[in-house]
Amino acid sequence: MSHEIFMPALSSTMTEGKIVEWLKNPGDKVERGESVLVVESDKADMDVESFQDGYLAAVLMPAGSTAPVGETIGLIVENEDEIASVQEKNKGNQPEVSSSDQLELVSNKTEEKPVVQTENINKEAEVVLKLEKPVPSFKTDQINAATSNVSSRIIASPRAKKLASQMGVDLAKVHGSGPHGRIQADDILKANGQPVSIPWIGEGDSPASIPGVNLGVKSKPETSGNSFGNPGETVQFNTLQKAVNKNMESSLEVPCFRVGYSINTDKLDNFYKKVKQNGVTMTALLVKAVAKTLKKHPQVNSSFSENGISYPENINIAVAVAMEDGGLITPVLKEPCNTDLFELSREWKDLVKRSRSKQLEPDEYSTGTFTLSNLGMFGVDRFDAILPPGTGAILAIASSKPTVIANNDGSISVKKIMQVNLTADHRVIYGADGASFLKDLAYLIENEPETLVS
Amino acid sequence: MVNRTAIIKQPDNISFFNDVYKLQKEYQEALILDNSIPDFIWIGEHQLCYTLGRGSNYDNLLFSLNDTNYDVFKIDRGGEVTCHMPGQLITYLVLDLKNFNKDLNWYLRKIEEIIIKILGTFNIDCHSREGFTGVWIGNKKIASIGIGCKRWITINGFSINIDCELENFNKIVPCGIENCLMANMIDYNKNLNIQEVKKIVKKIIQEEFNFDFVSK
Repeated sequence: MSHEIFMPALSSTMTEGKIVEWLKNPGDKVERGESVLVVESDKADMDVESFQDGYLAAVLMPAGSTAPVGETIGLIVENEDEIASVQEKNKGNQPEVSSSDQLELVSNKTEEKPVVQTENINKEAEVVLKLEKPVPSFKTDQINAATSNVSSRIIASPRAKKLASQMGVDLAKVHGSGPHGRIQADDILKANGQPVSIPWIGEGDSPASIPGVNLGVKSKPETSGNSFGNPGETVQFNTLQKAVNKNMESSLEVPCFRVGYSINTDKLDNFYKKVKQNGVTMTALLVKAVAKTLKKHPQVNSSFSENGISYPENINIAVAVAMEDGGLITPVLKEPCNTDLFELSREWKDLVKRSRSKQLEPDEYSTGTFTLSNLGMFGVDRFDAILPPGTGAILAIASSKPTVIANNDGSISVKKIMQVNLTADHRVIYGADGASFLKDLAYLIENEPETLVS
Repeated sequence: MVNRTAIIKQPDNISFFNDVYKLQKEYQEALILDNSIPDFIWIGEHQLCYTLGRGSNYDNLLFSLNDTNYDVFKIDRGGEVTCHMPGQLITYLVLDLKNFNKDLNWYLRKIEEIIIKILGTFNIDCHSREGFTGVWIGNKKIASIGIGCKRWITINGFSINIDCELENFNKIVPCGIENCLMANMIDYNKNLNIQEVKKIVKKIIQEEFNFDFVSK
């Protein structure tokens, strides 16, 4: 049977560690207490030892990569004849540091450097590997399928156990996707009905909050970033991506300017806490606030046309939503001023559900007069959006963060501050229009969030 | 904190890096086998040499490894390349962290605190910088830290530049930080000398870790 080597915690605050060096190669004999690899956190190195006599069968995370505390990074087997079967199961996950491909890559890279020393190529190989992204998590189900559930003992990673206790998830009822059915943090999130993949744009619970408990700054997100292809591949754009490309390119002909504002969300967050239980989403609240402010600032709702400034009959707020398989879509909440907050929230949930299954009608994603893009749920502090064609302005909403504020009277306080950034077409909307719109939006959010109900 | 015994060695002459490194490894191995034996502290100076941690980037070494004019050692500590030489005070601590706090971040911060207290004794105002382990005077680095650890037994430690040839750092990118400026304690207090600093290092380590020292 095989034993896992986990990323150790070198300190109470450590969430991930960097593998500096594997002191053993797959297939090497290891003795109990012998150092197998070196993990680094800051300026401190720690030797990680084997807890049993056996053989290092698999290296799941290569030197130079970073893994969360508790993650399985290698496998040790007791008998030499088990090495082959474990390696077979983990095929494709083991870094082949010394393969000719790898050296080829290295020598290509070193050619650019002024000094190339052949005897250093091996060392360069280490360096280059370190620069590469950590290898994406291996397909745990490969080894899981054959070996899981052999015993009734619950095996879970430390992180999974912590999450389970925080979320009140019963470990006995969770199906582990790790080696030997080991329960990983992702399994807990799944069991708790939380998305494991990166949350969709525009779906944040709050500009301030981070979905789940672990996507914040304190701990590293479990999931790796989005990728539609494998390294070395070129993947054709899908229809939606092509449409986005066309729209983004057409923005290059629009003379845009940007204007930003910092908004205190303490009151909004309190109000959101009260109405959340009634099914209100933060997206609906923000849409409502923007729509109400646009009503007072029709200029910001206008757009450029060959015949002049075009003022739409309605205020329709489009909200950018990233699609899991690439591209993005902008479902539209029509006339939010005429819809109450609860109905608006229901509408929004329905739109998101149907955009995921690609069941939106054209007028449900193409009739926006003003766009919102919210990346707050990722914890970003500010960003800048690109103006969609046919509209005059888009508002980029960042995360709301506790910030130290110097008040006018010289006192200091801590308030939740959310940065918003308006991108607008200067042919129809001028700096003063954008600025006064933002000032009124901030006033509404900071002082009268309860008026957003109707 | 428990009362503990530590063997202290503080040679007056300049020591060869490799000899002291071997000595540290011996104490570390011994402590791993028997944790009832005393911890080990070494305070002294080295001849000019360069050392790399196991994860160090060789690009930060600005001379060829084949250049026999320079002694280079790859050792088991964290961090990037650094340089040792006479006039720089080195302190190695082979401690069993199981008797203190099994937390390497705590240990690194504790060492920074100790260095700040040492310099404070000589009226030198210095500070730590988040994300840049070590001790700084303004934007100049006065002390470097590099730690190794096996079964919570530490190895290596910290170096403080007292009155050394800082030009030697020009042969490397110290700690992997581009344009990193180094400083000497003597530039901030003309009246000190390395023997005095040594005494203070010993005193503060004794207080901070609550050691009973045994000389050997």
